[in-house]
Amino acid sequence: MLKLFKIIADAGEATAKYPFAPFPVSPGFRGKPELDATQCIACAACTTACPANALTMDNDTATGIRTWQLHLGRCIFCGRCEEVCPTHAIVLTPTFELAVANKDDLLQKASFRLQDCSACGRPFAPAREIDYAMALLRQSGVAVDEARRAEFACCPACKRAATVARDAVSQHLSPEAEQ
Amino acid sequence: MTVSEQTKVGQNYVDGLRERFGAAILDAEWQTADQVTVTIKLGSLPDVVEWLYYKQGGWLSVLFGNDERPLNGHFAVYYVLSMEGIVKSWVVVRALVEEHRPEFPSVTPRVPAAVWGEREIRDMYGLVPVGLPDERRLVLPDDWPDDLHPLRKDAMAYNQRPAPTSDSETYTFVNDATGSTRDVPLGPLHITSDEPGHFRLFVDGEDIVDADYRMFYVHRGMEKLAETRMGYDEVTFLSDRVCGICGFTHSVAYSSAVENALGLVVPPRAQAIRSVFLEVERLHSHLLNLGLASHFVGFDTGFMQFFRVREKAMTMAELLTGARKTYGMNLIGGVRRDIMKAERTRTLALVAELRVEVTQLVDMLLSTPNLRQRTAGVGILDKKVARDFSPVGPLVRASGFKRDVRADHVYAGYASLPFDVHTEDSCDVLGRVLIRAREFFDSLSIIEYALDNLPAGPVLLEGFHYRPHQFALGFAEAPRGEDIHWAMTGDNQKLYRWRCRAPTYANWPPLRYMLRGNTVSDAPLIVASIDPCYSCTDRVTLVDVKKNKSTTVPYKEIERYGRERKDSPLK
Ligand code: SF4
Ligand code: SF4
Repeated sequence: MLKLFKIIADAGEATAKYPFAPFPVSPGFRGKPELDATQCIACAACTTACPANALTMDNDTATGIRTWQLHLGRCIFCGRCEEVCPTHAIVLTPTFELAVANKDDLLQKASFRLQDCSACGRPFAPAREIDYAMALLRQSGVAVDEARRAEFACCPACKRAATVARDAVSQHLSPEAEQ
Repeated sequence: MTVSEQTKVGQNYVDGLRERFGAAILDAEWQTADQVTVTIKLGSLPDVVEWLYYKQGGWLSVLFGNDERPLNGHFAVYYVLSMEGIVKSWVVVRALVEEHRPEFPSVTPRVPAAVWGEREIRDMYGLVPVGLPDERRLVLPDDWPDDLHPLRKDAMAYNQRPAPTSDSETYTFVNDATGSTRDVPLGPLHITSDEPGHFRLFVDGEDIVDADYRMFYVHRGMEKLAETRMGYDEVTFLSDRVCGICGFTHSVAYSSAVENALGLVVPPRAQAIRSVFLEVERLHSHLLNLGLASHFVGFDTGFMQFFRVREKAMTMAELLTGARKTYGMNLIGGVRRDIMKAERTRTLALVAELRVEVTQLVDMLLSTPNLRQRTAGVGILDKKVARDFSPVGPLVRASGFKRDVRADHVYAGYASLPFDVHTEDSCDVLGRVLIRAREFFDSLSIIEYALDNLPAGPVLLEGFHYRPHQFALGFAEAPRGEDIHWAMTGDNQKLYRWRCRAPTYANWPPLRYMLRGNTVSDAPLIVASIDPCYSCTDRVTLVDVKKNKSTTVPYKEIERYGRERKDSPLK
């Protein structure tokens, strides 16, 4: 009995003051994922990696808008999104207070403009992704100026059609192709 | 995987089978150095399994069906035996079942441990175990259509299910008592939590004559979900969610199943880190169970103290893995997070604190007269029953069997970690409590040793090739016994089949024998001693075999009676 009283006395007060005082978490704690929409290029890497389908992407070709959505109710805080994001746009924060009064508030959205193809005019990829690809090339020393934007803003189907057309012409002219 | 002749562990079992059963043994194929799948003629199934089980020191870890019609035109049944005789290895007995004759000879009359698995194969695949005495469903609800077998490849989508047609249960509960009993009408189940179950105790006055129970009211269909909707690498995160206690253990079991199937060599550092995380998970579970043991013998102050100290184990998990539950750490090929110096130092400090505090608490618990008085000689799991049903974890160890998958088979970093396998011969609730207390301190030492001896190198294997239709076993010892998974890869980076067996699945069937002969007030303690999720036992029906009278009592009431032992709910 005495032992027990001693343990209880030594333990002191075990109850935390939370929620009247902040409750610290360990460094590296994986809480609510947050998107920095200015960094995001809407590449959809995170939505592909997300095991819980908490992240989804919707394309509306009529309006040319791609919508990134995070459903916090489905999120399992694994951090796969953070791991795969090429631009560090999504990170898991230490925030763990996620209760909402209205279920819809668990859904977060961000919209991105889709680029219309410079040839066929149909939207095919987020405009930001094209900026990103050009910036990457510039960074690795390839001279890519704005004048070449149309080349990058061309959808894969049109690019292929253009290549086939060009190759057909060149094959026709080359003596090897005749043999 | 190609395994060279010299490294084939378990060749002796295959040789023995060939010698004894000759032409009935069709093929033997090694998946890893110590896993062999032996394909046999269907008719020899009971003989082969019985021989491996009783004559060669085998234990039946799991059995399951597989719809291999798209692959080879047949269904298949697999019986996984953990061979724990002189040579420790895995022997998986496989037999093909013809599509137009969907039945196989039941093994249960020879090896009782097969009972739940065979009932489940019948539910899920519509393959009939001929000669299985228990003809009741195991998993499917009473009003489920007779001809719909969810795991058949052509059955249904994972997100569809037939609408319920009835609110009442038609399940018959089995009572082997000699006295006569009356049918008990059942109200709708009162589900208070995520894992309800229904218990029936057949009593004579205060004494339990027999017991039966039914689970699977909230079967989540995870295997189907994994096979149809998720990528094989995403299932790692789903397998975490199998359990709220031993989730990481499940994901280690799952990841290693796929790694074994694809022949991947996980870096040693990753394996050691897995062992650290596994032991951290064992810590908090043991403390939870010791806390509940205090609660069930009416020592609630002890319960509070164990739970207070348990917070330190939770902090350790948060520190090392970024979440209080050790979730989301595994990938196929290793782990996602390394252990840094600061984390190591802080973890070692927590280990030291836990050792001091828990030593005091365990002393206190063991010197509580109530504990011995209420648990010694209660809930006896007879050695013979234990041998017949292949239970796992502290339950089987307290009945004198030295079984622990950490010591018996190779996985994670355990091959280079020192620890003992504790056993008791008392076969009772007390024995199980003592074992868990000792294993708690072992876990502390393992964590210390592993952190001091972490191998260097990467924590993740990258750049491997995925191949379809490879299969193997993965396993890991959870605090309550081993988790065992079998995975077969498929097309489109999806699993063809995933079988996941949690420890409690192996421990429920012998529970009936542990309840017999005890009093009603011991029932909660006995159930608690296998450490199932508590909500499993939501409501209890008591049937008095002499008075022919039945009463339905809320579980809380039985629990209270178990603690206070006055005002019997039977009166
Ligand atoms: S943390 Fe995991 S579950 Fe949540 S959004 Fe990111 S990838 Fe999806
Ligand atoms: S991976 Fe990063 S950049 Fe790509 S869509 Fe997700 S958040 Fe945006």
